[in-house]
Amino acid sequence: MGLLCPAVGAGGATDPTHRGLGRFNMRPGQTTGMTVYESDLPGVGKKFEIEIGGEERLVIVTHNTGKREVFLKATEGADSEKLFELPDRLARTVGTILEGAYFQPVQSEQVETMLAEGTFLEWYNVDDGSEIAGQTLADARVRERTGVSVAAIERAGSVVPSPGADTIIEVDDILVVIGSQEDLQGFDALVSNDADSPE
Amino acid sequence: MASEVALFELGVLFAAVALVGGIASWLRQSVIPFYIGTGILLGPYVTGRVAPYALEATEFVELGAELGIVFLLFFLGLEFNLNRLLANRSRIGTAGTVDLVVNFGGGLVLGFVLFRAFLPAFLVAGVVYISSSAIITKSLIDLGWIANDEAEPMLGTLVYEDLVIAVYLVVATALLLGGGDVGAAAQSIGIALVVILALLAVVWYGTPLFERLLAVDSHEFVVLRAVGITVLTAGAALALGVSEAVAAFFVGMAFSSTGHVEQLERLLEPVRDVFAAVFFVWIGLVTDPLLFTSVLTLVLVAVVLTVPTKLVSGYLGGRIYDLDARRSVRVGLGMTTRGEFSLIIATLALSGAGTTLSEPVAQTIYAFAVGYVLVMSVVGTMLMQYSESVEAAVVPRLSTVLSDSAAED
Repeated sequence: MGLLCPAVGAGGATDPTHRGLGRFNMRPGQTTGMTVYESDLPGVGKKFEIEIGGEERLVIVTHNTGKREVFLKATEGADSEKLFELPDRLARTVGTILEGAYFQPVQSEQVETMLAEGTFLEWYNVDDGSEIAGQTLADARVRERTGVSVAAIERAGSVVPSPGADTIIEVDDILVVIGSQEDLQGFDALVSNDADSPE
Repeated sequence: MASEVALFELGVLFAAVALVGGIASWLRQSVIPFYIGTGILLGPYVTGRVAPYALEATEFVELGAELGIVFLLFFLGLEFNLNRLLANRSRIGTAGTVDLVVNFGGGLVLGFVLFRAFLPAFLVAGVVYISSSAIITKSLIDLGWIANDEAEPMLGTLVYEDLVIAVYLVVATALLLGGGDVGAAAQSIGIALVVILALLAVVWYGTPLFERLLAVDSHEFVVLRAVGITVLTAGAALALGVSEAVAAFFVGMAFSSTGHVEQLERLLEPVRDVFAAVFFVWIGLVTDPLLFTSVLTLVLVAVVLTVPTKLVSGYLGGRIYDLDARRSVRVGLGMTTRGEFSLIIATLALSGAGTTLSEPVAQTIYAFAVGYVLVMSVVGTMLMQYSESVEAAVVPRLSTVLSDSAAED
């Protein structure tokens, strides 16, 4: 139980660069036809109000502690009805699901983007037992063996862009790779838990 | 080593605080009056009068209370954001100035009528002016008002009050510790100004240094370095006769411009809470409840006068933020609570006892402030909890009055 204000202090969620920008006023920011009002709550955190159609507004209070509280207002002037609250980690996960991105990377074969005729950008999960897990990119010789380039690695929610030759591939990494359809099939065997190697 | 029961006594103190904190939370009340009450009950003036043994305000408890003040103000500085204040200077400035004029002005008049002297009036004004950011912010979150429009004028006004209280503490400390005559007071205010300028220089130039000092991976070192800098600065200021609380406020401000502010808040919050609890218990330990009988009228008069002043200034503040009548009434109800800062001013009054204030006057102001905070912290919390009934009673009449006056125009 917080002696004083339980939410005063602590941090993590709020971007520290936002401090001191003087955004205490509600100020609308246009995002594809809907209005988001952002305001500072000194000593507490930040408040976002989103018009969600009709008169209704969704209010999200991001506490400095990382906790998110989500409220619904029937109209602009109505009292806020609290819907739920989430701790920082859970809020981020839920946010990713709402965004539609959460399940994409893991379902490797369903996500692919054609960059040009015959060249694809794809996401592959490194399975436990993959033969290249634990190796550096140099040792794995991915490009030489399959013709595929590793453009980025998603690891534990963050992205390693343009990984270097000494970057170690770990189990459960998601490799973002570029290659032809044929090369990608060969690459799939490297990251999956199959015994047969394409060589 | 300390006497063999000293550790046990401290254990009793913390266990009691933990217990009543739980009770307060269950009753949906602020913990502050409960901590003070615990101090009074376990202290020499209640337990001590009926039992051969009671908790004492030992040197350790007293220093702990001092640290509580330092950390409370340090956090105020850490959260204080000058840019935010400047960006909203018109609305925060107007609402804050209304709040200052109505409540500090009212307090000055009240204090002068009661004590017939400037210094006591100045102290009473401070006690009744400053709302409790701790209790108010907690209630805002507990009641879900934090997502409503009334949160903005309330938090904005609290920011303004924080700045005023920093200046106020400098002047009050200088007046109280400076001795009786005008020359001595002017001299100590001079010293205070020099120290404040030095502290501003620390804020201005010290940030890169603090940034480097806190750039360590170990939480232990972050905490130790921050505590080291804060307590050392506050202690040095006090040794020079300048408010340690204000020094801590400036150090907090210096830290607030580093990139470590969230980490500091997270790591030091428990430290602040522990010592702030010691501060509130200490307040109780040195309060003789029998003194309340002599200040009862004083407290009642102040409560009857200063609940309405905050209601009025809060209502006007809400109007300045373009809120409707109902929400403006809520701002007033919410701002009523007084708490930790009024108590800090009360302890200042004690420090002037026997020199700038006569012993009885200092004791009276102290007992008055403690009694006043005990009442106002409970009244303010209740006013917020039962705001719907108050709104239902007040708002229709308010709109009748307003439409009547509009009709007369």
